[in-house]
Amino acid sequence: MKMSAAKVKMRGKKMRNQPSSVQYVESSTQNGGGGDEGPSSIHPSTKRPTNTNQRGGWVRGHQKDGGGYSREMPKYITAGAFARARAAEVNTMLKAVTKTTGSCHVFGALPKHMRRRAMSHNTKRLPCRLREVANRMREKSLQAGPKKKKEQAKSKSRKARRRHGNLLMEFNRRQRKNVWLETHIWHAKRFHMVKKWGYCLGNRPTYKCYRSCHRAMSSHCLLQDLSYYCCIELQGEENKLLASLSELTSKETGPTFAAALCLSGRRQGSVVVYRAGQYPAQPLGPVTFLWRPRSQDLTNRQLWIWAHPTIKQDLLLELQKVCQCCDAVVHPVVTPAEVFPSLQLEPKPEKNSDGKKITKTKRKLKFKDANGPPAKKVLGDGTRSPNIPVTWKSSSKGIVINDLTMEIVRYRLIGPQSCSVLAETMEAATVCNEINESKPSLWWPEQCRSKNKMNLHQQQTHVFNILKGIFSTGELPSGTVLGLTVDDPRLTLPTKKVKALPCVKHAQEVDEERRELILQGVPELCCQSNLWEQSVRNNVTDNKTSEQELNRMRNEVLVPGSRLSLTPPQGRVPILLVQQPGKQVGNEMSSWGAGWDLLLPKGWGMAFWVPLVYRGVRIGGLNMGVKHSQNKGAPHFPHDYPDCPSGVRFQEEQEAELLAKFKRSAKTRAEKEPKMRPPAKRTNYIKHGCLAPFGCPWQQLSEEWELISREGGEEGRRDCQSTAEADAVMEEMTSCGEIAETKPLSRFIVLRNRKSLRLLSGWCRPTTSKGQKSCRVGELPPLDSSAMTGFLTAHRMSLVWVRLSLLCKGKPELHAMVCVPTAEDLKLLKKKRGSCGPQEPLHRDYFKSRVRRRKKEPKKAAESSWCSDNTQGKESVFSSEPNSITTVDPKSSSSDIILGLWPDPLPSITSHCSRVTLGWVTQGDFSLSAGCGEALGFISVTALLKTLFNQPMEHRGVFLLRNPTSLHYRFAKINIEV
Amino acid sequence: MVRVKSRYLLCEINVTDRSRLLLLDDRAVAAAVRASVARMHGDYGAALCSIRFSVKYLNAHTGIVFLRFPKKCYRLLWSALPFITCIENRGQKIPCFLNCLHVGGTIRTCQKFLIRYNTQQLHRMLPKCKNEEEKHEIQKAILNCTLTKRNKEAFEDEFGSDKEDDSDDDNDEEEEEEEE
Repeated sequence: MKMSAAKVKMRGKKMRNQPSSVQYVESSTQNGGGGDEGPSSIHPSTKRPTNTNQRGGWVRGHQKDGGGYSREMPKYITAGAFARARAAEVNTMLKAVTKTTGSCHVFGALPKHMRRRAMSHNTKRLPCRLREVANRMREKSLQAGPKKKKEQAKSKSRKARRRHGNLLMEFNRRQRKNVWLETHIWHAKRFHMVKKWGYCLGNRPTYKCYRSCHRAMSSHCLLQDLSYYCCIELQGEENKLLASLSELTSKETGPTFAAALCLSGRRQGSVVVYRAGQYPAQPLGPVTFLWRPRSQDLTNRQLWIWAHPTIKQDLLLELQKVCQCCDAVVHPVVTPAEVFPSLQLEPKPEKNSDGKKITKTKRKLKFKDANGPPAKKVLGDGTRSPNIPVTWKSSSKGIVINDLTMEIVRYRLIGPQSCSVLAETMEAATVCNEINESKPSLWWPEQCRSKNKMNLHQQQTHVFNILKGIFSTGELPSGTVLGLTVDDPRLTLPTKKVKALPCVKHAQEVDEERRELILQGVPELCCQSNLWEQSVRNNVTDNKTSEQELNRMRNEVLVPGSRLSLTPPQGRVPILLVQQPGKQVGNEMSSWGAGWDLLLPKGWGMAFWVPLVYRGVRIGGLNMGVKHSQNKGAPHFPHDYPDCPSGVRFQEEQEAELLAKFKRSAKTRAEKEPKMRPPAKRTNYIKHGCLAPFGCPWQQLSEEWELISREGGEEGRRDCQSTAEADAVMEEMTSCGEIAETKPLSRFIVLRNRKSLRLLSGWCRPTTSKGQKSCRVGELPPLDSSAMTGFLTAHRMSLVWVRLSLLCKGKPELHAMVCVPTAEDLKLLKKKRGSCGPQEPLHRDYFKSRVRRRKKEPKKAAESSWCSDNTQGKESVFSSEPNSITTVDPKSSSSDIILGLWPDPLPSITSHCSRVTLGWVTQGDFSLSAGCGEALGFISVTALLKTLFNQPMEHRGVFLLRNPTSLHYRFAKINIEV
Repeated sequence: MVRVKSRYLLCEINVTDRSRLLLLDDRAVAAAVRASVARMHGDYGAALCSIRFSVKYLNAHTGIVFLRFPKKCYRLLWSALPFITCIENRGQKIPCFLNCLHVGGTIRTCQKFLIRYNTQQLHRMLPKCKNEEEKHEIQKAILNCTLTKRNKEAFEDEFGSDKEDDSDDDNDEEEEEEEE
């Protein structure tokens, strides 16, 4: 029997302390040399072993070379030898008994009850007598270790780290890359934070609150921190501003910057911004804007544009281009980015000759280089280097662009009770008459001296008091603005969390006033706020009462726990309240999710946040924002703007993320992915007939539909009997999918033309969602072929954003396919109202074998058969369409094939499944407010019109939805809402 | 935990002529036991003996032998041991008999017993010494195997301190370390 070398070694290790038999083996060479006293003592002549082969002293078992006993036996024995033999035996036995066999660790020698956890790491856990040996062992093993771990830098003690200055320093270091909002620490304790768009944002709370947040949105109030939205300020003459801005927008998409209500400053407006003069191509994204109301002493108008951080840079560039503002202005004293006093003392770097953007340098490093002042809490955008210009001025037009990122805190309150929450949290500022000469810089006492301003303040207070009596936020005109000055809300902080409830009074005159407010909105005068003034903002931020000071004041109150009576003179904050419209489109649930936006000067974020939280609001993260707009039926910014650059980027990121999740190999598992999905448990999307489960190839979709529509036009809608021609078309589609088309196809665009949308909406109306009749059908031109052609020529390559609500069961998911029902499907629906919908036949995965045998060439024969069996049911709908399945590119390298996913050159998307695909869903969920599955997605305009045209009147607007992981089609009603 | 249980018999081989003891060999002992068992208990006994019987240790100088029997049938096998009268090795017959000193469940208990037994023997020998030289030798032997000292050394030599007293297993240790 042969043992492997390792086994022999193991055995040797195990048995090394065990005694082996002592016997005469060899005679001539006297092999048993190691045998201590054994033979040697008895036979002094052969005293020491002469052996050369160093075998274990006492030989176990039988040696092959064991010869006979040539040597004569000893003739006598002595007591000494006898005793020595015994002693030797005792020794070996002792050794065997005292030493454990198994492990070679020191603590192996310890009895079990004395062993302790992690002894091998911390030798101090061992008893003293073993420690030295263990240390030696440890050193040896560390040296032997293949890779040495880097010695960790010794960190400071916890106490030192938590010291205020050090803590702030650490915080500033940590937000160099991703800026923290003012509520960051509050959020970080309660939310799953994500690093997005250069900010650290709370994604979703760590506690379970999906339903309660929805309930808060629909019946109480949900609070969100939207301070990451960037504010860009434009100052200049009204005409010039409007003229410049008109290049960015188009009247076709709705009211622009020049809308009269918005221009007066009474309403907040929202527009989709395009690159200058490029409409309808190259949109940037949606922005909201707010004009400062006109006032006598100011000739220039002031405009705030609020944009998502992802489009800020592009927008700034565009604005600079349109306004011809190319010279950056360096603020000599205070750039708005830093107003805290310590920096003001420092000499500002005055250079920055080139108005170019420099890469963001790390602020703290600069800080240290200068002279290392103690870390200060950074307010505003802390990561921005002071060298980066934030102001641009145009010499020709007199327009000034100011980047106010992080300068203004923006909180969003969603829900009907937002009014009550605001009213309970804030109180209009009390007048401060005594003028403190020691602090001449405070803005409020100065204001109190002016009678005009006090009048205005009183009016605003009055409006605010009426607001308290309003039952639901949605009653107000959308976008209403109210300027206000309030007391420090920390002074009225309740000791316990309370739930703010409305107090509707039913006095006659109050009713009158309330009605007027609801109908007219806030009067223009009251929309003025001191928040617009940069000097006031800075003053307020600088003179904020510290938390410590407040606590000291609370401590001095005679009755503990009673509220502070005297407001310190610096405790007045100018704010702006902006009504946020709720659901404006559609017939059901109008003004759902309306609320208020609260704009504050920076630095006051937490001072307002905690009091708001104490009024029983729920806090939502980013994902609640998505759900909010989904329920509201409004597109959410990066998600639902596939034609904007940031939308494209978002889609790419999402696709990569989903793909990684799908593969979830060992690599991705490392990053906190607890589940690993083995290949056998993954969905095989090929079998489900889902070509793009993780992303939506919009471009390909719109190109294909464009091609189909052109075919239809040329061939005059005749059946495609001639297979040769179909083959030709197929060839065309395969060979020149994107490159060499007859005419270079432009990029797809999303239809945002109000008129066209209204037309489309009317055409797919006959049954609105849930089958309600609409009242406005009559005005529209009927859908006939001429209208259709006209529409199609006007909007080529465009997608339209639609809302789909399921007719019966089903929950649409991300990237579900929107498909055309066949005539049979519609018949089925007619017969049984609640029918579930057709099934997709299972596709065959021809790549499986390729994945298995990577090196083999794919079988060509298989492809052809697969072409034919897929394209049955759709000829009825689109007769012009050929059996257009692109042949799979055999060259596609088999190395990057993932089982269950189509390799990259996708075949024809539209006709891949038994039902023709129109588009995909970008957001889908069971809508808690509608009570059925709802999805938002895009479909091709061409496809939509053709389908509508072919559908019978009573089923117009009924489509099919199919999730990527399912074979089941569900009926859904399409809605285009304007 | 479940394990195969055995009984370990610690036996002393008594010979008339002590010098012949050195002829012994573990295979010879095993053969003698087998033969005896077969003689006493027939085929059944021989079969039992073939299962897990082995000679774990034999010291030809002291005549100590460890025998392992399956626990189930060790009494039966044990009963055959007294009938061994001689052990045959390479054509030489060594007349002897086996004296069972200890029965243990593990080899470790047998080792422990053997330690006690041997030291006791040495202590008994000491007063019976006939001359000073003998006495001195025995004293030295006793000192060599005192427990406390050995214990300490045991750890030391295990972990590589080469400070070894000039005892006999010096050589043994060195070789083993080389094997590692």
